[in-house]
Amino acid sequence: MSLCPPYAPFFGLGGVASAVSLIKTSVGAALGTAKSGIGIAGLGTFKPELIMKSLIPVVMSGIIAVYGLVVSVLIAGGVQPKDYSLYAGFIHLGAGLACGFTGLAAGYAIGYVGDSCVRAYVYESKVFVSMVLILIFAEVLGLYGLIVALIMNSRATEAPACL
Amino acid sequence: MSENVAVSKVTTQSVEQSGALAKLLVFSIALGVAPLGSYYLSLNYAWNGNATFAAITAVALANVVLVTFIIMSVIEEKHGAGVSAKAQQKPETKKTK
Repeated sequence: MSLCPPYAPFFGLGGVASAVSLIKTSVGAALGTAKSGIGIAGLGTFKPELIMKSLIPVVMSGIIAVYGLVVSVLIAGGVQPKDYSLYAGFIHLGAGLACGFTGLAAGYAIGYVGDSCVRAYVYESKVFVSMVLILIFAEVLGLYGLIVALIMNSRATEAPACL
Repeated sequence: MSENVAVSKVTTQSVEQSGALAKLLVFSIALGVAPLGSYYLSLNYAWNGNATFAAITAVALANVVLVTFIIMSVIEEKHGAGVSAKAQQKPETKKTK
């Protein structure tokens, strides 16, 4: 069993985009955008002047997708056709999984918090500050996954030379 | 009479919305272009091929775009509240005459 089997890039590319990181963060961002969009549509019928402020959950969901995009680009720059060990492939798969699942969780949280806080913003304007604070905490979950993915990816170049 | 009022409301709303739509387009494009562009630019010119720092730069720039959007929406709400209050005062003075 060699250290660089030919099926090693399968795991690396699985971490990149076609399976894990970008797909899962996109699902999280879509959940966040859809759920908070329902609340914004409800708010827009009562108070149209508050719409620009209530679009903040949607922008934060977009940033979750940007996290997944950055990790995908980062890993795709490290996958090689030759001299690519199975160790590096598993590291890249793990980095993609870390970023993808945390992005999914963060997008889900942003969606539900955005929806209910935006509906409450119609009646009480002081909800805005607490909404931004809660959304920042939800977004930081995705940031943690990105940091772990970055740290893992930096170890992928330590792989021993292939024979 | 109510039809004229409704038409004028729709035209004013569409004028306001076109400005808001342009701002949203600019922010959407910035949210997509800024992280990717900064990743590749900083990878080659700033960090000498160290991909981790380039990714950190891209994420920091994406968060800067987010903070800019939040600040801009708060400022616009203060301006919008001032303008709509002035617009409501004028027809009242005409009625009192």
